[in-house]
Amino acid sequence: MKFLCVPCDSPMKLQSVGPPERGSLSVVYSCPDCGYEMAMLTNAYETQLVQSLGVRIGPAPSGVEGPRVEAAASGSKCPFSAMIPGNEGAAERPPGEPIPVRWTAAAEARLANIPEFVRPMARTGIEKFAQKRGALAVDEEILDAARDFFGM
Amino acid sequence: MKGYHDIAGDGGSRVLEQVVEQRARITDGLAGVRHLVAVGSGKGGVGKSTLTLHLAGALRARGLRVAILDADFNGPSQARMAGVQGALFVPGSHKVALPRTANGIGVFSMGSLVPESEALDFESTAQGESHTWRATREFALLGEILGSFEWGTLDLLMFDLPPGAERTVQYADFLGPRASFVLVTIPSEVSLGVVARSVAALSKGPNRVLGYVENMSGYYCRDCNAVKPLFASGESPGLGIPCLGTVPFDPELARHCDRGIPLEDLPGTPVGRALDHVAQQLLDSLP
Repeated sequence: MKFLCVPCDSPMKLQSVGPPERGSLSVVYSCPDCGYEMAMLTNAYETQLVQSLGVRIGPAPSGVEGPRVEAAASGSKCPFSAMIPGNEGAAERPPGEPIPVRWTAAAEARLANIPEFVRPMARTGIEKFAQKRGALAVDEEILDAARDFFGM
Repeated sequence: MKGYHDIAGDGGSRVLEQVVEQRARITDGLAGVRHLVAVGSGKGGVGKSTLTLHLAGALRARGLRVAILDADFNGPSQARMAGVQGALFVPGSHKVALPRTANGIGVFSMGSLVPESEALDFESTAQGESHTWRATREFALLGEILGSFEWGTLDLLMFDLPPGAERTVQYADFLGPRASFVLVTIPSEVSLGVVARSVAALSKGPNRVLGYVENMSGYYCRDCNAVKPLFASGESPGLGIPCLGTVPFDPELARHCDRGIPLEDLPGTPVGRALDHVAQQLLDSLP
């Protein structure tokens, strides 16, 4: 979908994506020539259509990350994470609860590379694997050991 | 006044750009895969999953590198049958390592993620209207899986498709002309009729249909060591595509599938020999 400022005959540029409310997104466009602003307000079906494509509306994640359509719509960053039972908030622990196994930055970076719908399950499973081996931290060595152990 | 095609870009929403990027990730992820083979039917309950797993086993026994993607997200069965229900998904340097069976077949199945007591569910802003968006979301999920798992260097990546002639065609569209199709039927006119619809639908596209397999073509009686009729015999109208082979039903094999353990003596049985024959026919028919 593209928007044209008819008086200027200029393509409008996306300015911001507002936080969705009750399934509706507010996407603001402006004309680079006259500065006129307009907002596209989606209904729930339109929001869902974009969400189903697994894309975000707005700039690429490098730089300032724009709001993701799926994030606001579902309360989760990933359009698929919530479909796994027990995933809801699995990666977040209540404040004050002791962290059973620490993750090194390098291991966290590897975890961040995998799809969010798999991540909570992977985190829990790898922590259990580390605990069984008596490790206090999940590092790249533990990840590689898990791969070997499970024959990957 | 400018029209849609007069305007370069999309003003910053990047929706189309991201869809193109998704396709590029899939292409990149499958760059090391020599053949994409989708095992479908159109008809449900004809043994697509069992056949996929055991064809993969027969191909693996020939030394080929094989993986299975259980594309039946709503009724995944490969995790149980392949014994990877409790598989751990381990992040590699960039992608997720693929769980493997004891004999080295890579398997992705939603059954490793979603317990059998739960249905696959997607959050939605359009509650009660899932018929309008669910298929789109499932294909986006398929793309995410293809782009984010380590498929590596494979001779064959086999897709275990869900039932439905229209779904078979949707997978053909999504996977593109690289994907070849094997269709599975059983020797009943009802099944043949449904599979014929899939053949007709696929014939309109660019995908190669390698042939069909007649599954449950009799049953193997271990007591008699003989294959006996399971369906009333009659003149089959055929499907107008090559028959890659017929495979008898083996209750013992079904029992092992339920338990997720391999049937050790399978290669020496009529069923094992039939599967081996189909595997060879499949290899011979690949481009």
